[in-house]
Amino acid sequence: MKYILMMNGKKSDFEGYARWSKEDLQANVAFMRSFSKELKDSGVFVASEGLGWPNEAKLVRAGSKGEPITDGVFPESKEFLAGYWIVDVESPEQAYAIAARLSQAPGPEEKTENMPVEVRQVLSSHSDLGL
Amino acid sequence: MKYILLMSSTKTGVSGYHQWSQSDRDAHMQTLGGIAKELVDSGEFVATQGLTEPKEAKMVRGEKNGVPVTDGIFPESKEFLLGYWIVDVATPERAFAIAGRISAAPGPGGIPTNMPIEVRQFAERPAATN
Repeated sequence: MKYILMMNGKKSDFEGYARWSKEDLQANVAFMRSFSKELKDSGVFVASEGLGWPNEAKLVRAGSKGEPITDGVFPESKEFLAGYWIVDVESPEQAYAIAARLSQAPGPEEKTENMPVEVRQVLSSHSDLGL
Repeated sequence: MKYILLMSSTKTGVSGYHQWSQSDRDAHMQTLGGIAKELVDSGEFVATQGLTEPKEAKMVRGEKNGVPVTDGIFPESKEFLLGYWIVDVATPERAFAIAGRISAAPGPGGIPTNMPIEVRQFAERPAATN
């Protein structure tokens, strides 16, 4: 069963991250690296990507002739995807356990709450898209 | 340049999709399938993935002892990822054009859904994940 683990944050969360000290950032990156390595070593790793910052995000709709109309204005409450991990596991519980590990990634000392990770099963086939 | 095109919706939007007729759904998926095939042929296709329904979504936090705490209650306004396309394109404009095509896919009665598609570039150096 494949699950996607998503880290989301508002623009204010991203701005907060930009203010972390170098030591805090290094500790966080070191954790993420060893976390990914562990997932690869245990054979559950499928894919992982980090996304560019929300200030570069665009919302696109089709105009009347199908031309793209882009918009870069989002509500303050908008949650932006920061990055994701796709894992292939035996049970939802295993996905939740991996997400809990991710949630415990180290941050600044004053951080009081662990980061929530959204866990969703992905569709097993792309048959609808003919791929 | 790799971009991810994200299609998201609130639970209300997903319930609306359930009311589409089968022929409207088929026409919609046929258009999306055609776009995906074109991207494969042009060499811009990297990946696409659909997600299961929002009602199965869980939010997970880790307690101090590492125990996962799951929560399935979300605000009504929460936007759930429905699916994504990853493309490798020469310019941002090309990514926007592909997103426009997806947004123009037909909905009920053949009228374009005009769904907003969020377009994001991948981090230049995904240091945190490599």
